[in-house]
Amino acid sequence: MAQGHEDAERSDRLPVCPLSWVRLHRACLLILTILILALQFAVQSAPAANSHHVVVINQLRYQPPSLTVRVGDEIEWKNEGIFSHTVTANDGSFDSGLIDPGHSWQMTIKKTGTIAYHCRPHPNMTAELIVQGPGGQGTQPQPRPTQEARGLLHWRIPKSPEQFHPILVNFTVALVPLALLGDVLGRIFRRAAFYAAGFWMVLYAAVITPFTAAAGWWWKSQVGHNVPAQIIAVHQWLGTSIVVLFVILAIWRGRIYKRDATPSWSYLGYALLVVVALVYQGSLGGAMAFGL
Amino acid sequence: MNYPKILTVVLAVTASLAIVTTAHAQAPSDPQIVGIVQAANRIDINTSTIALSKTTNSQVKEFANQMVTDHTTLEKAVSDLAKKEHITPETSATSNQLNRQATAEDKKLRSLSGAAFDREYISHEVAFHQAVIQAATTTLIPNAKNAELKSALQNTAAPLLQGHLQHAQQVEKSLGS
Repeated sequence: MAQGHEDAERSDRLPVCPLSWVRLHRACLLILTILILALQFAVQSAPAANSHHVVVINQLRYQPPSLTVRVGDEIEWKNEGIFSHTVTANDGSFDSGLIDPGHSWQMTIKKTGTIAYHCRPHPNMTAELIVQGPGGQGTQPQPRPTQEARGLLHWRIPKSPEQFHPILVNFTVALVPLALLGDVLGRIFRRAAFYAAGFWMVLYAAVITPFTAAAGWWWKSQVGHNVPAQIIAVHQWLGTSIVVLFVILAIWRGRIYKRDATPSWSYLGYALLVVVALVYQGSLGGAMAFGL
Repeated sequence: MNYPKILTVVLAVTASLAIVTTAHAQAPSDPQIVGIVQAANRIDINTSTIALSKTTNSQVKEFANQMVTDHTTLEKAVSDLAKKEHITPETSATSNQLNRQATAEDKKLRSLSGAAFDREYISHEVAFHQAVIQAATTTLIPNAKNAELKSALQNTAAPLLQGHLQHAQQVEKSLGS
């Protein structure tokens, strides 16, 4: 009884935050988090600026014979051959008239769908345009480095694979390096809070990354042939392996956490290797997304 | 003098020469190939020029215009290539035959007018392009020895002729013949 009384006195002397302060603090954190997430979604979903595409006409062929574009994009047909040709839509929606050798014809595409076209004097010359809707839908994964910002942040609920993968990748990429940092700082400052961060972030990473990988595979199933074959081949298998590596990391770190122990050098070394693999994986993803 | 015997010998020699000449024409040389292609080009330019002066049908006019432009361009391209590759065009039995047929056809076309002219011109163009494509694919391209000449025939002349054929067939259909 006396012990309890002493405890109560002791607790009276401890500084106590008013409950309203705690609530305000939590509310601010929540609002800040929502704002940051919303901003990220907005940036990810912002529609790409209009692009300029070129189709070369030479040796009685259109190159490329199949071109994927977005509504509002500009397409230029350049006649680099020796004969005059036309660019005539099969459905009659456009006709360039005769384009002489060395000349070009430009058009801004206004409707979606697959538009087959041909040359009127040489009807054996055929090609097609695949026109996608505006803003991030469909099979065009690469935002061009030279595009200008639209100036407006339109937020749309992410729906297509090319939006999900970049969003989820952020978590995959951020969590494990920060977890490793937490464990390193824990060793330096000997604080339990850092070690806790080291465990929990690795756990979050292991939970989220299967979804990141799934989104990547989904994106690839839509895009497939449009990405460089060698890069995607390494990226897809390294990414899937990283899912497994994260799970191993989480189990290992979880055991350490349960024992209330300090992460060993071998664990830290392993975590560092995983981070290096992650950086390489990210560089491959960046190469595909930004054409580096 | 045994005249029947001499006549038989003369005929046999002539026939052999004709056969040998024809056999040679089956496998034309590069100079002969260029000669044949240029003959075909000039023939189509001439016939289509006649068409331009005679037709009143806008589709036929458009087609004839395209023939003159395209075959003039092709003639120049082949001529430039032959000069670069040091191939001097030669006449052959095939090119002579083509020219003879063309002269006869042009005479026929000049005697026609109106819708009859249009139909005859277009059906002739269809047949002509079919024949030239056939010759190109079975004889000219396989026998071309010079790589540049072969490539030009395969990648430029053949698809061009194919395009002309399809265009001519479309016009023929619209004329309702």
